[in-house]
Amino acid sequence: MKECAQGLKLPKEKITESVKETEAFARFVAKFVEGGDCLAFLGGIGVGKTAFVRGLSAGMDVKGEVASPTFSIVNEYSGEISLIHFDMYRVSFEDDLITTGFFDYLKSTNVLVVEWSENILNFLPDNVIWIEIENLGENKRKIKIRKGSK
Amino acid sequence: MKILALESSAHTASCAVCDENAVICESSLTTGLTHSQTLMVMLCDMLKNANVALDQIDAAAVSFGPGSFTGIRIGVSAIKGIAHAMSLPCVGVSTLLGLAKNIEDMNVIACAVMDARRDQVYNAVFDMSRGECKRLSEDRAISIEQLTNELKNSKYDLPVFLIGDGAKLCYDKMKDEIKIKIAPPQLRLQRASSIGFCGIEQIKKGNALKASELMPKYLRLSQAERLREEKLRRELQ
Repeated sequence: MKECAQGLKLPKEKITESVKETEAFARFVAKFVEGGDCLAFLGGIGVGKTAFVRGLSAGMDVKGEVASPTFSIVNEYSGEISLIHFDMYRVSFEDDLITTGFFDYLKSTNVLVVEWSENILNFLPDNVIWIEIENLGENKRKIKIRKGSK
Repeated sequence: MKILALESSAHTASCAVCDENAVICESSLTTGLTHSQTLMVMLCDMLKNANVALDQIDAAAVSFGPGSFTGIRIGVSAIKGIAHAMSLPCVGVSTLLGLAKNIEDMNVIACAVMDARRDQVYNAVFDMSRGECKRLSEDRAISIEQLTNELKNSKYDLPVFLIGDGAKLCYDKMKDEIKIKIAPPQLRLQRASSIGFCGIEQIKKGNALKASELMPKYLRLSQAERLREEKLRRELQ
């Protein structure tokens, strides 16, 4: 993930007041993502993870309607750099994770975004980018972007 | 016997038609594109350009593992589909055996290595000096460190050649510790023609399968890794 893009700095924190604002922020964050990035969400049900991915996909100009991959496990939205959208809610063990193709996608030059990354913490790459979404009540959210080691 | 062979177990996508004596046609791509996009297109183009029709094919072969979960499934599904439609006998070939086949009849030990995860490689060792790929080990997942120690202690008479997409990774880690060589780039990676020749051998030995019987053969990472995962899981509960 780039620190700067088009003369703008990557924002590390943002408060959003609605789903639309979360999407708009994610659309902005898309300017900074690069092929090979793995973005992992930290945050519970209903904080806006899929909304964030919708914004990200619009910013990355990829094809395909963003939907929660709770049942499909992984959705691929294709573009020059594709966005690979995982939901690890139903993934428990390494064997399960292998069958999602997660490790194969990690070797590719696409952007991975992982919901329920808490379930696969041990398998995330060292250069994972954390997107932490905190529920501040009603539709208010605090979104923090943190690069890092686990 | 004309055999159609596919290889998609790692980064390289490859297809070929061979008979016992020659590679009739072969195509290969090592790019970032997914095999689901490239493999069938490449196969159709190759058959068309070589003027080989599917009904001239007598058998089918595919690398069935070890390797990338997605890649293996793409290749195996494609061959199962073709073999089913054309009623062809088919066979699965170890990716590591296919790699060793690239350097058949050379007076060397082939150490086939494919990048797995966490500093591990999928590996098998073969004696290539006897006019065949004589296995000195089963296909296994092993840490590079363990493999280095094994090679250090084995005292082979012949030079040991690393081959496969993990060869460069291993060579860079091993070269200061042991005497080791690396296959040149044009022989180093997986290729469908080698899978084809292995396939012909297996079919002649009577090991052909029906399309419905052909299955992938995944290798799990080493025991130590699985135990570590189970331990972590218990701690998190």
